[in-house]
Amino acid sequence: MKKIVALFLTILLMVSSIGFAAADDSITLDVIICQYGNNTTNWFTGTGINGKSFVQLFEEANPSIKLNLEVVSWNDVYTVVSTRISNGNAPDILNIDTFADYATEGLLLPVKDYCPETLYNDFFPSFIQQSVIDGTVWAVPDLASARAMYYNKDMFDEVGITVPTTWAELEDACTAIKDYYGDKVYPWGMDMTTDEGQAAFSYYTWNNNGGFVDADGKWALNSAANVEAIKFAIGLYSKGFTNPSPATQTRYDLQDMFGAGKMAMVVTTNQLPTYLKEKGYSVNFGTAALPHNEGAEAGATGVMDRVMAFKDDSYPDQAARNAAIGKFLEFFYSPEMYTGWVSMEGFLPAVSSAVSYLVKADPSFEAWLNVLDSCKFYPTAKAEWVDVKQGVIDVEQKALLGGDVQTLLDDLQAKVAGK
Amino acid sequence: MNSILVRHKWEPYLWLLPSILLMTVFVIFPILIVFKLSFSEISKAGVVSGFVGLQNFRDAVSDRTFGTVMMNTLIWVVSVVGISTLLGFVVAMVLNNQFHGRKVARSIVIFPWATSLVIQASIWNYIINFEYGNLNNILLNLGIIKNAINWRISYQIEFMWECGVGIFVTVPFVAFCVLAGLQSIDDAYYEAATVDGAGFWKKLTQVTIPLVRPALTVSTVLNIIYVFNSFPIIYTITKGAPANMTDTMVTYLYMLAFYDQRKGPATALSVIGFLILCVVAGLYMLIALRKEEQS
Repeated sequence: MKKIVALFLTILLMVSSIGFAAADDSITLDVIICQYGNNTTNWFTGTGINGKSFVQLFEEANPSIKLNLEVVSWNDVYTVVSTRISNGNAPDILNIDTFADYATEGLLLPVKDYCPETLYNDFFPSFIQQSVIDGTVWAVPDLASARAMYYNKDMFDEVGITVPTTWAELEDACTAIKDYYGDKVYPWGMDMTTDEGQAAFSYYTWNNNGGFVDADGKWALNSAANVEAIKFAIGLYSKGFTNPSPATQTRYDLQDMFGAGKMAMVVTTNQLPTYLKEKGYSVNFGTAALPHNEGAEAGATGVMDRVMAFKDDSYPDQAARNAAIGKFLEFFYSPEMYTGWVSMEGFLPAVSSAVSYLVKADPSFEAWLNVLDSCKFYPTAKAEWVDVKQGVIDVEQKALLGGDVQTLLDDLQAKVAGK
Repeated sequence: MNSILVRHKWEPYLWLLPSILLMTVFVIFPILIVFKLSFSEISKAGVVSGFVGLQNFRDAVSDRTFGTVMMNTLIWVVSVVGISTLLGFVVAMVLNNQFHGRKVARSIVIFPWATSLVIQASIWNYIINFEYGNLNNILLNLGIIKNAINWRISYQIEFMWECGVGIFVTVPFVAFCVLAGLQSIDDAYYEAATVDGAGFWKKLTQVTIPLVRPALTVSTVLNIIYVFNSFPIIYTITKGAPANMTDTMVTYLYMLAFYDQRKGPATALSVIGFLILCVVAGLYMLIALRKEEQS
């Protein structure tokens, strides 16, 4: 019996010493990636890249770095990340949309600490600018999407109307569609849900020379232009031009209605064609810029997500950790990986080296890249962004219930600026 | 070996140890953490810093939404528990009768309770959908309505639907609790009542209800706790929209913690909810203990 115990202990000692030896020259990175679509998980951890996964390919190319990569749905990612931070177990690398809270609390590493210079210079400078607080870059963009208005060409031909470019023309088009189809077709899609109501806010205010912030970058939520814009949007709803429940019908509900021929116009991402194809809809659609108020500049909405690295002071060799994070980024943004990733989910790239590859594969990409050039982005670098994002959604939903837009925006501005 | 162990006084505790460990790790420990967090400052990113006294409670209660949410929670709990207790009682009375296919009927009744709440809520979402919902399709095909009806025309109606789904999934639980109570009633009571000339109502109020009261008490108290804590129905159907008008306390504190990133007030609210449920559970214990003493 004693012999068996001794043998067991010896084996245990040997195994653990091997484990320590392996741990000595290898590093494990905890990575959280957001689930962008049906293919994300398979691409990162399944068999999405010619029978292999991103993790497998990365570890083959970098034997000394192990990835503990988890793909988390957008619904859960905020819960997962904040719970992990509360428990002192933040990931090493995180892919998400917001970064300001993490940066201002001193949880993030500055990008220059880990991002190789060649890669850094490859990012579109206008994108990098969106992740700067007090002169320091805290995150790099992983991809972008642009919003545009899609319209049902067949319906427009049948009713005999042209694509609206101004708000007045939009109302005329809605009236004509409603007169022609009655209750069978919603002329205009509106999403003011808890999921993405902030996008609706930008669609209307940015097309009326308004927006979240003024020219100095200060919160200007209750500007006259914003009040006018939101009143216009609510007007579309109360005149019966929109889907019946903008507070609960999400972008995906609207895309389904558009695909099924129950909606004439919808503002959504450049991924709509991929979405319609995957769902088996065959609708003849066209794309146009969002209608704007007479005399106001047109403003396109761009949405960008990011990759950031968290500090881990407990790690003994910080330089090695930073280098490993850099290797991860280099591998992810290499054209072979990155173009596959971006085009798989129908997104727009964040690095210039990917552009020529993507345009070669699909020439229609070029038009979107031009749109992206003129896009405005949410002021996510401001610390109050989360409050503002939830705040404007609340304003929209209360306005849908008949609340006074001016009062609601005044209250929100006071709440945000009073901080 | 066994005979030695049996003599030890600590043996029962040994067998209880796994349960105690599980309870400590998964129930007591998290409760203590939430209590601690409710008195701490928590940043938007989730970093926990110092003690802030009752600030989180003040923030949570002074928010204008709090009143609406508490009112909704009250309506939600009272209507779902009240109506489903009433309906569950009726269903149990029906199922207690002898009729052909009673077994099949009993299995069908249990379905809504046995299915996951998220699936139930998603299916009801489809049923009442204006554009492609089954309810409109059936009514249109039967010629009962000429145009599709928007079953979600206002948030009050949407909240009513949510309560309706809550009732639908709760009725089976009540029905089976009451059914168990009904089956334990000795027929001799009814025979005696019949001999004394009691009719249906007399038997119901003088024999049935007093004898199934313990079962009703159990189901009501458990339902108050389940329904108060119920998250999936409201989150799936409206997510509390528009503007928190259909939120109950549980969905509201989730939105507060993970959408608004206001975790301090959210933990304070969960402590308030916990205390409310403690009162309910305490009342239940009192009633149960009194019954035990009486019997």
